[in-house]
Amino acid sequence: MSQDARSPGISRRRATQVLAAGAAALSVPMLSLAQGQPVRVGYAMARTGPWTGGAQVSQEPNYILWAEQQNAAGGLNVGGTRRRIELISSDDRSDIETCVRTYEKLMGSDKVDLILPPWGSNANFAVAPLANRFQYPFLAPTALSRRLVEMKLPYFFLMLQQPAPMTNALVDMLKAQGVKSLAVIYVDDLFGLENYAALKVALQGSGINIVEDKSYPGGVKDLSPVLRSIKDKNPDAFVGFTYPPDTILASRQSKEIGFNPRFFYASVGTAFQLYRNVMKEGAEGVLGMGSWNQKTSPGAKAYFDAHTKRFEGKEPDRWASGAAWAALEILTAAVGRHGLDRKAIRDYVAGNEHNTILGKIRFNGSENVGTPGSVSQWQKGEFEVVWPRAIATAPLLAPKPAWV
Amino acid sequence: MSFGAWLELIASGVITGSIYALVALGLNLQYGLMRILNIAHGEFLMLGAFVTWVATTALGWSPLAMIPLSFALTMALGLVIHRLWFKRLTDTSPNVDVFEARALMVSFGLMFLVQNFASWVWGGELRGYDYLTDPVAIGSAQFAANKLLVLALSLVFAAALIVLLRTTLYGKGVRALMQSPTGAQLVGINTKTLHPLMFGIGLGLSGVAGCLLSMTYTIAPAMGEPYTVTALIVITLGGFGSMGGALAGGLLLGVVEAIGMHYTSPSLKSLLSYSVFIAVLLLRPNGLFHRKR
Repeated sequence: MSQDARSPGISRRRATQVLAAGAAALSVPMLSLAQGQPVRVGYAMARTGPWTGGAQVSQEPNYILWAEQQNAAGGLNVGGTRRRIELISSDDRSDIETCVRTYEKLMGSDKVDLILPPWGSNANFAVAPLANRFQYPFLAPTALSRRLVEMKLPYFFLMLQQPAPMTNALVDMLKAQGVKSLAVIYVDDLFGLENYAALKVALQGSGINIVEDKSYPGGVKDLSPVLRSIKDKNPDAFVGFTYPPDTILASRQSKEIGFNPRFFYASVGTAFQLYRNVMKEGAEGVLGMGSWNQKTSPGAKAYFDAHTKRFEGKEPDRWASGAAWAALEILTAAVGRHGLDRKAIRDYVAGNEHNTILGKIRFNGSENVGTPGSVSQWQKGEFEVVWPRAIATAPLLAPKPAWV
Repeated sequence: MSFGAWLELIASGVITGSIYALVALGLNLQYGLMRILNIAHGEFLMLGAFVTWVATTALGWSPLAMIPLSFALTMALGLVIHRLWFKRLTDTSPNVDVFEARALMVSFGLMFLVQNFASWVWGGELRGYDYLTDPVAIGSAQFAANKLLVLALSLVFAAALIVLLRTTLYGKGVRALMQSPTGAQLVGINTKTLHPLMFGIGLGLSGVAGCLLSMTYTIAPAMGEPYTVTALIVITLGGFGSMGGALAGGLLLGVVEAIGMHYTSPSLKSLLSYSVFIAVLLLRPNGLFHRKR
């Protein structure tokens, strides 16, 4: 547990110092490797405010790790020449306005070579049209919205599986397990509403009834009144389209009131190391949004180990972190082949199938159609992919054991 | 609904309300006594929560041991902050209204300062730990042990403050200052020691609330602000400067929210809280428990 107590602020600074010292020591051989100007890569990221929890687990650590790994190898391969990566980043304060202005500046006046996306559906929604106008390829790892796909922006790519495939996978799995009734709660924003709508579509003709559905506001402090009324209806499955604090709140309060359905599913945050740390053995059997772990591929294991080592015990999350890394893999390959010609990078991303740690990824318009919708489950301290069987890392554990 | 279900519903409201009350008491002490509308109040709750989390996860201490410690720590911080900024403001402001406006500005700055300090030191991630989460059955209802602990301790602290103000000479001084600042000074009540002390105790209570909250919720640097807003609603409910009012107001708001959420939807929680707030402002602007003198 002690690793969690360490401050990322200090470790980042220490890391910068170490890197600076390393760069100085290596400067002579580096010159021969990294030719010319650095590749300037810009992004805005939440370091303060409500988005920080997600952004600092699933996204920014990957950007830092990527730049460091590439630079340690002599720089990013830009069409055959290795050039050092210079990250130009700032805090968007979890504020859409700041986020949009920062990207406007990065692309409009700083004219950076490449940009990396901000965190979350809302920020991506605001920035994507801008990136499209300035013609910067944009591979978003943490955006989940049908509407983003429907905007048909040629420079915009969504790495995560969207609501329809995710909820279809969930419903398929529940149906196969003979589930007849289900209760759902969802956060009342774009993420929650779209997933809830997709779930309702997925449930049509499945023979599963919704016995209770309730929305709740982000930042909710007490879900027990809702959970108690759900418990009274005794559904086979519970589904929560929740954000990390609410994911943990719903889990803890379900344990508190003794609500233990056969299937307990929550969304963002179940794939976080934090979930295991907070719920301890109680995490066993909890289902959630996840798509990979170390067993998915050798690349995934190497990434997991590098991440955990670099950030002193902080593990990547088993859903969006993998997508963030896969996006960087695709970008690296594209730049290696086409240099910094952004139109060529865009065409390469759109027109090819890519090998990533998550398996093969290809895009139909903006949407990643290579990665199937999936369900993961906590089993003995690891978040295992349990559905669909083709990409499963472990068999499903059903029914969920009692909370401990 | 069965009796047990009612009991659970009302009790869960009372538990949430007891935290509201504890935070509101501290803010009320600062505003009622010194006219410092401390917007940064919730940030000290966040500090209390983070300090407890660090002690529990890194040092393996019991969160219970951290209750007096987080009180002492945030109180000491309060004394320093009062000495550095609010004392100076008191000395340089021509009258109470100017002081109130300036103090509000300063506390806004303080809010950003403390919040960013926490982000810088601990990062912005969500944190948490596992403590006494096993359910305890009371009759046909059951609650997490840590929730019951939170309820008991926040009521103890709230009651202790009220008793302190009612029975001790210091308390008498504080109440006198609330009734008439000039009159109190004329009869020899020393604001130079009372003000920093009460400011410190106010923040200390916020720190304790944070410590208790960290047992039941996940914590993050931005967690404090909503509690400041709720505390403002609570002290409006209970009446500025009224400690018993703040306690009753906090519990009432918690119960209203719980029952409202049960019958409508959690999405309407803010609507409920603010409806109560507006209704009180319209019908009983001096607070629900204000007695005509």
